[in-house]
Amino acid sequence: MKTNELAARLTSKFGEGILGVDEFPGLLGRVRFDAAIASKLFHTFRDDLGFAHLTMVGAIDWIDHREVFYTLWSDADRVYVMLSANLPSDAPTIASAVPVWPSANAHEREAWDLVGIRFEGHPDLRRIFMPEGYAYHPLLRSFKIHEPEDLEVKVRSE
Amino acid sequence: MSGQTPLPAKVPPASAGPSAAIADMPLEVIGQPGVPFVEIETLRAREFIPAAKEALTSLLKEQANGKLIRPVFNWAGRNSLFPLHWGLACCAIEFAAAFGARWDAERFGVVPRSSPRQCDLLIVNGTVTWKVAHKLIALYEQMPEPKWAIAMGNCATGGGPFRTAYSVVPGVDKLIPVDVYIAGCPPRPENLLDGILRLEQLIKERGA
Ligand code: SF4
Repeated sequence: MKTNELAARLTSKFGEGILGVDEFPGLLGRVRFDAAIASKLFHTFRDDLGFAHLTMVGAIDWIDHREVFYTLWSDADRVYVMLSANLPSDAPTIASAVPVWPSANAHEREAWDLVGIRFEGHPDLRRIFMPEGYAYHPLLRSFKIHEPEDLEVKVRSE
Repeated sequence: MSGQTPLPAKVPPASAGPSAAIADMPLEVIGQPGVPFVEIETLRAREFIPAAKEALTSLLKEQANGKLIRPVFNWAGRNSLFPLHWGLACCAIEFAAAFGARWDAERFGVVPRSSPRQCDLLIVNGTVTWKVAHKLIALYEQMPEPKWAIAMGNCATGGGPFRTAYSVVPGVDKLIPVDVYIAGCPPRPENLLDGILRLEQLIKERGA
């Protein structure tokens, strides 16, 4: 399959939901999609296109919006593909990929912990690196590094 | 100090007292914590065993009279520090090396134990993150008194290279009281041994 074939198949199925399919070095392509169709798109990629393995979920804070991206691997075609969705900064919410690929569990917890993306339908969306009760998402660009002397020690919350 | 006075002369004489109902008697503490009971560490091995035997015999006599000889416990405690075997980061490798064949910390009576309830020394050997901070406190609180703590390496002392990171505690003394700080990234095993010996000196001077 080529990038333009993938684009044609996806656009015929989802229409407006697909914002674009770009060439991307080393990948079959980079699919930009609307967060509203996330769940259906995940099922399509796993069941119809044979991408059985989710390699990673990542998130970026672009200040005016946030981006979530997924890297998938197909054993049959031996090729990677990247899915990417832009979310508004004030409500960064998207459907969870855990029902489709269980390996998304820890990755989505990480994206929630560090960049503050809310994954709807995640079975256990807790913080993963920072302690429970921590107030910030430290990889957001609005996060200010503490001076160690200013730190308020709050570790006995459990 | 080879011309040592014989041990029993330094032991306070056992006064004749009732031997019944020992268990119910409150233990009277005699002696100053800082005063060494006897410089046993300076004895040679050949002299050590009879000397220790006499010291313990008289100690047991004192105990039977309802007295507790504090310097003895100070001496025994500081010469058998049991650190918790808890590796946190790269410094734990040097910690492990210090107990290996080459540096052999066991010759100072320092034996790592696996349970905090058997330990009186917590060596924080590595980077402490906020995620693990409350577990560090829980381990420290499980150790029986008297207890001491050593911050080993720059990370435990002040956050080290990660001092301004969002996830790292900038100095473990924000969480628990620390007695000895060891600098280095990582400190060599000799530095760790030096820190332990300094802690022994501290216990000797300050008392348990
Ligand atoms: S002080 Fe250096 S060697 Fe020790 S834990 Fe920190 S970074 Fe690792």
